[in-house]
Amino acid sequence: MRIIAVIPAYNEEKRIGETITKIQPLVDGIVVVDDGSTDATFDAAKRTGATVLRHAMNRGQGAGLKTGTEAALRLGADVVVHIDADGQHDPSFIPILVDPIKKGEADVVLGSRFMGLQPEGIPFSRRVLHRAIKTFNSLVMGIPRKLTDPQSGLRAMNANAAQRLDFRQDRMAHCSELLRLITRSDLCWVEVPVKVIYSEDTLAKGNKNLDAVKIAWQLFLGMFSK
Amino acid sequence: MLIQIVLIAVLLGALYVTWRRARQNVITLSEALLWSVLWIAAGVVIALPQTATLVANFFGVGRGSDFVIYASVVTLFVLVFKIFVAMEGLERKLTEMVRRDALRDLPKKEDAG
Repeated sequence: MRIIAVIPAYNEEKRIGETITKIQPLVDGIVVVDDGSTDATFDAAKRTGATVLRHAMNRGQGAGLKTGTEAALRLGADVVVHIDADGQHDPSFIPILVDPIKKGEADVVLGSRFMGLQPEGIPFSRRVLHRAIKTFNSLVMGIPRKLTDPQSGLRAMNANAAQRLDFRQDRMAHCSELLRLITRSDLCWVEVPVKVIYSEDTLAKGNKNLDAVKIAWQLFLGMFSK
Repeated sequence: MLIQIVLIAVLLGALYVTWRRARQNVITLSEALLWSVLWIAAGVVIALPQTATLVANFFGVGRGSDFVIYASVVTLFVLVFKIFVAMEGLERKLTEMVRRDALRDLPKKEDAG
C-alpha cells in the first residue's frame, strides 16, 4: 500500500525540514504544498527530496490540503495522510492512523486529541474553544457528538475516500466541513487517540479564540456558495 | 419644498435613462419595468409622504419615514450579504486556478500507475 503524507505549509522554513525528515521513514511519499509562503519554505522542503508544490498565493490550509490530496492521488496513493507542518503532530502516530485502513476496517481514520492521551501544554482557553466548536458542530453542522475531537488536523483516508470528500472551504472551516462530509457519507470512519504537542511557537500561529466566530461565518457563507 | 423637487427631478432622469437603455437593448424589458416601478414608487413616497405612512401602518410601523429607513436597512443588509457570497464564489474560483497552476507539472490521474 502506497502511503503518501500531505503537508500544507505556510511560512514554515524553520520547522518544515525537521517535520519532513521525521515523517519520511514512515510513509512512501510526501507532498508538501507551500501555500504562497513569503519565506524559504519551498526551498527548505525541496532540500529533503519531498514532492513540493507551490500555491502562487496564499489560499489557506484547507486549500493546501485539497491541492496536496489531489497530488497524492495523482502520484498513486492508496492512503493519504493529512498532517501539520509545524511539528505539533507526532509522526509516530502515522502507522496507528493507517493501520485500520490497511486492515480494511475503515475508510477514514481521524486522530483525536481527547481520547485518553493528554495533550501537552493545551491552554484552558483552547479547551473552551474546542467545547464551543463541538457544540456548534453538533447543533448547526449535524456532526455527531460522539466524535471526540472537533478540530483535529491529523487524519488518514484511503484513495476512495480522498477522491469522494470534496471539501471546498479554503481556510480554517475545512475541518468541520470535512467532518460533516465524512459522517454524512457511507464511508466507514473511526477515531484513534493521538497526542499533540502545543508549544508557544505553534500556538502563536494556530487558531485564535476569535477564530471560532470566523469559522462559523465561513461555514455559513459556504452554505450559499457552490 | 425644494428637496422634493430635486429628488423628483433626479427620479425622472433615472426613469428616462432606464427606458433609453431599454430601447438600446442594454437592459431587458422586464428589468426596465422593475426599475421603473422602483423609481415611480420612490417618486410617490417623495411627492406624497403620507403614502409611506399608509404602508408603514400596514406593517405595524408608526411613521412613514421610519418605515423607509427600516426597509433601506433590510435592503442594504441583503445586498451586502449578496456581495459576501459573490466574493466567496470568486475566492473559490481563485483557489481553483491557483490549484491548477500548482498541479500542472504532475501527471493526470489517468496517467499515473
